[in-house]
Amino acid sequence: MRKVFGLLLALLLASLGAASAAPAGKVTVLCSPNPAWCDAVREEFPKATGITVDFVRLSSGEALARLRAEAQNPSFDVWFGGTGDPHIVANETGLTEFYKPKAWDDLRPEFREAVAGKYIPLYAGILGWALNERLLKEKGLPVPRTWRDLADPRYRGLIAYPNPNTSGTGYTMLATMVQIYGEREAFELLKRIHRNVAEYTRSGAAPGQLAGRGEVAIGITFIHDAVDQVLKGFPITYNAAADGTGYEIGGLSLVKATRNRANAIAFIDWALTPDAQKLAAERGQSYQIPSNTKTPIPRVAPRFQDFKVIKYDFLKYGSQAVRDGLVKKWTTEVFPLPK
Amino acid sequence: MARVLVLPALRRPVNGTLVAWGALTFLGALLLPWAREGRELFVYLPETTGAALLARTPLLAVSMGLALAAAVIGLLPWPDAVRGRAAVAVGAAGAMLSTGYLLTAARPFSAGALVSILGFLAVLGVGMALSGLLRTDAFIAASILWVALFVLVFILFPLWSVLKAAVYVKGHLTLAVVAQTVRSPNFLLIDNPATPRNELAVALAAGLAAAVLAAAVLGRVGRWWRRLLLAGGSGLGVFALAALYLGFGAVRNSILLAVVVGVIATALGFLLALLGERSQLWTRRLLGPFSILPIITPPFVLGLAMIYLFGRRGFITYQVLGISTNIFFGPLGVAVAQILAFTPIAYLVLQGVVQAMDVALEEAAETLGASRWHVLRTVIWPLARPGVANAFLLVAIESLADFGNPIIIGGGVPYLATEVFFAIIGRYNPNEAAVYGVVLLMMTLTIFLLQRYWIGRRSYVTITGRPSASRPRPLPRPLDYAVTGAFVLWVALIVALYGSVFVGSMTKLWGFDYTFTLEHFKILLPGGTGWRVFWTSTWLSAVAALPATVLGFLIGYLVTRMDFPGRGALEFGSMLSFAVPGTVMGIGYILAFNQGALLLTGTGMIIVLAFIFRNMPVAIRSGVAAIHQIDRSLEEASTMLRATSPTTLRRIVVPLTWSALLSGLVFAFVRGMTAISQIIFLITPRYSLATAQILSYVEYGSQGRGAVLASVLTLFMIVVIMALYAITRRLGARMAREVAAT
Repeated sequence: MRKVFGLLLALLLASLGAASAAPAGKVTVLCSPNPAWCDAVREEFPKATGITVDFVRLSSGEALARLRAEAQNPSFDVWFGGTGDPHIVANETGLTEFYKPKAWDDLRPEFREAVAGKYIPLYAGILGWALNERLLKEKGLPVPRTWRDLADPRYRGLIAYPNPNTSGTGYTMLATMVQIYGEREAFELLKRIHRNVAEYTRSGAAPGQLAGRGEVAIGITFIHDAVDQVLKGFPITYNAAADGTGYEIGGLSLVKATRNRANAIAFIDWALTPDAQKLAAERGQSYQIPSNTKTPIPRVAPRFQDFKVIKYDFLKYGSQAVRDGLVKKWTTEVFPLPK
Repeated sequence: MARVLVLPALRRPVNGTLVAWGALTFLGALLLPWAREGRELFVYLPETTGAALLARTPLLAVSMGLALAAAVIGLLPWPDAVRGRAAVAVGAAGAMLSTGYLLTAARPFSAGALVSILGFLAVLGVGMALSGLLRTDAFIAASILWVALFVLVFILFPLWSVLKAAVYVKGHLTLAVVAQTVRSPNFLLIDNPATPRNELAVALAAGLAAAVLAAAVLGRVGRWWRRLLLAGGSGLGVFALAALYLGFGAVRNSILLAVVVGVIATALGFLLALLGERSQLWTRRLLGPFSILPIITPPFVLGLAMIYLFGRRGFITYQVLGISTNIFFGPLGVAVAQILAFTPIAYLVLQGVVQAMDVALEEAAETLGASRWHVLRTVIWPLARPGVANAFLLVAIESLADFGNPIIIGGGVPYLATEVFFAIIGRYNPNEAAVYGVVLLMMTLTIFLLQRYWIGRRSYVTITGRPSASRPRPLPRPLDYAVTGAFVLWVALIVALYGSVFVGSMTKLWGFDYTFTLEHFKILLPGGTGWRVFWTSTWLSAVAALPATVLGFLIGYLVTRMDFPGRGALEFGSMLSFAVPGTVMGIGYILAFNQGALLLTGTGMIIVLAFIFRNMPVAIRSGVAAIHQIDRSLEEASTMLRATSPTTLRRIVVPLTWSALLSGLVFAFVRGMTAISQIIFLITPRYSLATAQILSYVEYGSQGRGAVLASVLTLFMIVVIMALYAITRRLGARMAREVAAT
């Protein structure tokens, strides 16, 4: 028996020892895009630089919350991807800082101007709908064309929409509607859409998947996520509201209080190279428009000229006061309403 | 509670134990680092050793002096009483000074601090035993102090942090966040301004009607105040239920869910218990394996399977029945998943109750001419009532605390357990999360106390010690068939649900393209995400299982066999984590261990600690049960022969409870592997666990990969449990022989 205990003790100590062994050159990344892209980055970055990557996949709202929680003692070095608004909030509240990358001059100028040096543009994606037309046909319903159409009671239980508390996609829709209709009318519309919502999801990509599986007919999501569903073989189509839709400029930010600055900067510079950005479409199941002009735009990526894209005011709707105010208003005035 | 016999120790010129602990404490404090940098647990910072800090920090210098003094006291040829009192003074002062230094320095603690504080507590314990302050020996006294420290730091302190965060915001004591949260419609909304009717008025009317009706029915029966109480009570009850039913918000959803799930799961559990004990059909043999299955898998796996079978493109709803509905996305789906997952808990509680019923009572009733139905109604049911209440309350706690099912198939409707999560993960508002947590905690704690101190005392024990010769009475035939029919349906549903997860792991796109594929299994290749999280889960749970079991058994031994001040408090404190929902403990750990001397967030250690203190109560329970089986005279004999208590534990108690220890170990491991609600707050890039990964796969739409991980986890747990049964049967026999031979 003593032997058994001795053995167990030795095992215990050995495993504690193994737990403490950490690689020397590493960078810890908050990763907000599709997990497949995060995985590809984790595999490729070490090959290019010899630095290993650890990442947590969190939706951008959650990623911001995590950075706030760990403000005193951050465990992350870089925030990779995710919608731009929370990147702006993080910058304005001193959680992240702007670093001018080596590839700055190669980045698309319209992206650079839109975010005005609050963060580094990584990609752009257009907000839209993943539509399960087969389910709509079964129900004898027309394909919706505008945001107002979504409020039609006939779509009851057929819409999925990401919760703006956790998802940047959800907030982009909220801010888009406010910019198109004005705050009062937008919220009236959201209250009516709420009655039709079957599920509020945590992440922005999930509504597209629900539409793909036929759980809902209309999933509000970024179009590039819907493209991914189409390529995977789900029977869906995608579109955007004909009365205007918003877009995101996905961000890349350096965490301000990181103790690992050199590796973090190496990661950022690498992430903006065409080779790294190509990973998104090739292995990451992500079909946004890459920010580096030298990166080829994926053939299937949704383009701006095909949709009616509004002039989204990133600085206003990315500021903390506006963002927190809108999310709070939605959480207390729309979310708890009966369906 | 009788005491273990303690003989006065012989007077020895040197007390070796005291010298050893004094020296160890001194050397540890001098040579080991007191602080570390950030989240790396095992780093050696030479500038923070006691030797380096000595000159600058008088507090530390004094405490190291005290450690030396402890060793010297051990060497001095004083009588035990004097030596003991001196050791008590030195130990207590040293422990306080070390802790004081650690907290004022506010740098993350390291090995030096740990060795020093535990060392001083050991000195204190030795002193208490020597001086006779505690009528026990040094080992037990030191164990009590250590265990008390662990319970204080890792159970009570996190809970205190949650309570504090609810009312202490940015340095001010305020009820603002409480008021704001409680007034938020997410919390509880009875009269919804968005609906045309006034829900509050409707509920009031219903309550009033119920009161009037009750008064009318009662007429003039009984005393007037009893009538008033009954009518008023039923009115209030109906009002509360109606208000909840018509209302909105997390409180409403959670309570309603707990009540519904509690009632149905308890009823099913009672039927299954009757079936297991009294059925004459062979199907009852299936009860064992099928009741354990939902316990050894993460509860939300059933939620995942519900989507597969009953979603809008579910296999049964769409493929077989051709219905297009997402009715199971929401409270109904959560309720069904929870009923399936928690019925086994009710069954296990009620099984004992049904087993313990004295058949003689039933026979007496039958001899007096009662029919079997009559016996069931007037004998079995009244005897089972306290057990039924017990089962209901336990299931209600589980339902309130459940996090996985509401988040997977809750349809985005708020529940208390998920609001805690969203408040901190989505909005990063720890104060709001704490308020939700406190409300949830108050509910589960109330139920826990009810269950422990009211129901627990009212159980009717009909075992008298005299063996009852008759076999259990079989169920009446029609009832037997009816119950068996329900059970077979239940089994079929469980098989279908688990089966769909297994099949789903090998299906291209469930609900759309049922082509066979092994593509999802790629995540299990070495280096893949699935492989990594599975490995992390396995070894973190394994590392935590041993301390959880040892600590649990030690506490079980202390509270059953020893008598010391604070024994009740220790037992209550350590059993508390049964009643504390995982999400509440989760934010407790984040709030308590995110800064200062106790910084642990972001390490693997905090996950291990969470596992240890979450799974320890299971080991305590099985430990207490096993120790009660041992005749106390064995230990007394050992003590009479001058064996110290470690020797008694090692040579008598452990060998006799070996199989309980082993199964405690395995269950601690299984619970670690299947835990979700607490660790969801604690996972980091390096320490991501399988359950959390399944959740994230399901949420991000990779159902197939989630199904692969869930299937592998389930199969692995089944193998582990079967191995346990195989080993305990053989080991039990061998250990018994060994003990008999010595």
